[in-house]
Amino acid sequence: MASDEFSREALEHLDALYNFAMYLTRNPPEADDLVQETYLRAFRFSHRFQPGTHLRAWLFQILRNTFLTFYRLRERESALAEDGVPTWDVPMFHDAPEESSGTVEAHTDLERALQRLPEEFRTVLLLAEVEGMALEDVARVLACPVGTVKSRIFRAKERLRGLLRDYAKQ
Amino acid sequence: MSGDHSPDSDEALGTRLREELPRYTASAHLRAAIAEGAAPPRRRAAWLAPVLTAAATALVLGLVFLPLLPRLVPADPTERLLRSVVAEHTRTLMWGARHPEVIPTALPWLTQESGIGLRQVFVGDDRLGFVGAEPVYLEGHFGMALHYRDGDGHLLTYIVLPIAGLPVPDRRRVQIERGTNRWRPALMYDSGFSAWVWRQGELACFLVSDMVSEADVERFKDYFVRVRVATEPVPAN
Repeated sequence: MASDEFSREALEHLDALYNFAMYLTRNPPEADDLVQETYLRAFRFSHRFQPGTHLRAWLFQILRNTFLTFYRLRERESALAEDGVPTWDVPMFHDAPEESSGTVEAHTDLERALQRLPEEFRTVLLLAEVEGMALEDVARVLACPVGTVKSRIFRAKERLRGLLRDYAKQ
Repeated sequence: MSGDHSPDSDEALGTRLREELPRYTASAHLRAAIAEGAAPPRRRAAWLAPVLTAAATALVLGLVFLPLLPRLVPADPTERLLRSVVAEHTRTLMWGARHPEVIPTALPWLTQESGIGLRQVFVGDDRLGFVGAEPVYLEGHFGMALHYRDGDGHLLTYIVLPIAGLPVPDRRRVQIERGTNRWRPALMYDSGFSAWVWRQGELACFLVSDMVSEADVERFKDYFVRVRVATEPVPAN
């Protein structure tokens, strides 16, 4: 179990993690579950955290990996639907309440455009631009070189610009 | 907000992302749930686990060895003797008599082996069938056992031991009258069996059966009368 100091420090990043989880899932109950699962894992494996390194990046990394794990699981389950139609209402977590299907709609073009980006593009923009994370920390979260992060940010912004232009024409 | 504001530069787009995207915050409920999960579980007292382990081990050992432990021997001599008599009855019930003999042909041998003579003996009637007789050795005394079985399969064991002055507990005595005869044997119980206990001269007599219910007691009285009236054991000096 985590020490009091570790727990206190980890909880300071709760809102940032929840915001990130919301943009990943677009679903408040699923975001709740995702964040709770993230902290559960962080507390359980707190002994693996190296003091002096960035706790924030470590927590974001756990959250993203947890999301991808369950997201892939959901994708697999959807693919196995009998009628072949993806059932997007399948909750990310099996014990998620029924309200989990209440997806939060994007109200602005910027939100809609961000939502249409692939996950790896959306994530780099959220971490680097929204959370203001250093490129080295973003690289740690995504488990890739800093150069890859820069490249993804560039391409993500290009895609985002294109989408925003399309919305502006409509 | 819409796309009419064309983001040309990376910086401008970054600023828009930071400033225009709504920011979601965790609910108090979620915060409380996570904080609760972070709290270390209440530790058990360090001594509790070893004590519980020891207690559980002792309990298991006790249960395993309980049947092997010697039963407490009653202090009362009559009860102690009764326990041996009931054990003999149980053995006969389970395994039969060791050397079932037919009376009267075996009577001289039985008298020699047991030290008990029989001036007369109940050898069965329409209610009780005679099963056999054999010498016994109980609590340091040679004696004689006679076995009977009734129509319902109840086995009765009549045991005579040369013990003078065996104390018969008054509070257990039962008045039994038949015609002009009147007896006051004690009705005692041990290990789920019932027994009539009485003195006959210098001998101690027991009639054991598994008839313990209220309804069976009357029948057991009748069997006592049948055996008592027709049997007269004496020390064979």
